[in-house]
Amino acid sequence: MYEFVTGPLLWISFLIFFSGTLYRIRRLYSLTEKREVTVTPPGAAAPPAAAVSAEERKLNLVVSFQNSLLGKHPVMAIVSTIFHICLFAAPLLSQAHNLLIYESWGISFISIPDKLCDVLTIIFLACAVFFLVRRLTVPKVIAVSSPYDFLVLFITAAPFLSGFCAYHQWLDYKTVLTAHVITGEIMLVAIPFTKLGHMVFFFFVRILIGGEYSFGSGRRAWKT
Amino acid sequence: MNDSQQKKAEAEKTRAVLNHNQAKIKLCLEACASCSICAESCFLFNNNNHDPRFMPSYKVINSLGVLYKKKGRVGTEQLKRMQDLVWRNCVLCTRCYCPLGIDIPDLIALARSLLRTRGVCGVYPHTLGAPEEEYIMEWDPQELSDPDEDPDTQR
Amino acid sequence: MVKAEIKQLQEIKTSVIGYSSILITGCGGCVSVCLAGGQKEVENLVTKLRLSCKADTAPKNIGGMTVERQCEAQFLSQLDQEVPKYEALISMACGAGVQYLAERFPDKPVFPAVNTAFIGINKDLGWYEERCQACGDCVLGITGGICPVTMCAKGLLNGPCGGPQNGSCEVSKDIPCAWVTIYDRLKAQGRLNNILDIFAVREWQNQTQGSIVLDAYKSRYTGEKK
Repeated sequence: MYEFVTGPLLWISFLIFFSGTLYRIRRLYSLTEKREVTVTPPGAAAPPAAAVSAEERKLNLVVSFQNSLLGKHPVMAIVSTIFHICLFAAPLLSQAHNLLIYESWGISFISIPDKLCDVLTIIFLACAVFFLVRRLTVPKVIAVSSPYDFLVLFITAAPFLSGFCAYHQWLDYKTVLTAHVITGEIMLVAIPFTKLGHMVFFFFVRILIGGEYSFGSGRRAWKT
Repeated sequence: MNDSQQKKAEAEKTRAVLNHNQAKIKLCLEACASCSICAESCFLFNNNNHDPRFMPSYKVINSLGVLYKKKGRVGTEQLKRMQDLVWRNCVLCTRCYCPLGIDIPDLIALARSLLRTRGVCGVYPHTLGAPEEEYIMEWDPQELSDPDEDPDTQR
Repeated sequence: MVKAEIKQLQEIKTSVIGYSSILITGCGGCVSVCLAGGQKEVENLVTKLRLSCKADTAPKNIGGMTVERQCEAQFLSQLDQEVPKYEALISMACGAGVQYLAERFPDKPVFPAVNTAFIGINKDLGWYEERCQACGDCVLGITGGICPVTMCAKGLLNGPCGGPQNGSCEVSKDIPCAWVTIYDRLKAQGRLNNILDIFAVREWQNQTQGSIVLDAYKSRYTGEKK
């Protein structure tokens, strides 16, 4: 069983993950188009009506902080940022994972001590619990939550939970380890085809598509 | 044109709009993490005691989302509810903030187009002339019904 | 829609000196769409005023509220509870909204926070262009969908004048001559004979306040039975 899930099944899930992600990116490209700015609006060339004073620059900074996610929803901003950092850092930098990669292909990423990885996992799971509690108690979140949202949260948390159990050798090690690999594979496969697809959507849309809230000056727009 | 013919023609129009935008709707609905961060960017949400029915994502999920999932086959009751969501609860000020970058106003506009193919559109007294107690809604979380359960969806 | 631009902070600050409490009112209509006076701009202005007014002149109490539209009494009524708590009002709506707000609360001084610019279109993100001057006598059907009143520097109805060079207006070579553009479009549509029509001297209506009563509603105001 273990040989199967770490062998062919792993390859299949990697294949699905990468091709699915590529497909999603391609989809986003085909649904949007680049809008070239060919004319400079006369107003853009004109200098600002009045020079911005140092005080006003400071005020603009305060206001742009206030408008940011951190200013508007500090708890959500911090928790979700930490959640996503751990989501990537813990599996990619884990010593055990890197050892496996090294054994297979002779390469490895930078790895972090097991203890630190354990801490990241705990933080990640704590954040996941925060999201779960939020989904169960905050009225506005309840209003848009469906069983699907809980499932997606579970799919994301499951590999971490099983990895945590495996590291601490809780329950039957062999079973837990197999469960860890399988849940990880489920998550990989789920990314391109479920709500987890926001991984691709977020970067594509907020960077490349222009809008009031885009990072930088996105030149793309949805095709009409 | 008799009644059933008209219904058929309406359904066809709805499907045409849905098909034309299918890929985008699917991507956008799927990208929504139901995080509800969009809520406070809506001034109507803030003005109405944080009633979730004014939350941008709620409005999209329960109008466009349902129309998409059911391929436009929704009943009169549900159409009425959607009409409220996208015309009374939204003025298309186009300022919703989505952390993931979903263009919520675009989707609400799309929901409006879809509803129009079913002969449902914004009604003026919706926003004007209605007594205040009707306009400012009291809400109770229990009351938010499941979008899926609608007695007259058989069409 | 109506397009507006937010005023310089200094001007807004100066206008409210001496008032100890101010309510900043936003509008969810046109000015929200053009990023000039929606909820976000209200919140930003509240913060800026709170932080920047000198201690002695600072209004102690600055509030903000955004309503659907300030050009309709129904929506302004949502401010009825809030307004009495304040000494003065700042409106971030267009000129029409500011006036209707002032009319509803005649005992409160009202100050505009945006300059209403024109009726225009969203050309691109944060780029708006004037398209209509609300002259009250639309000729777009004859001029190929291009407005000479708005697009011609002289607002000529029987153009072009003697000024255009290589299709550009004499005001600036970056501005296309409205009448050359009209000519080109009419030609492309095979409607060039339109340009031969001579518009009679115009009955400009700008001198008095414009007002529209739809035919369907006329009896409602005259008391006549249909």
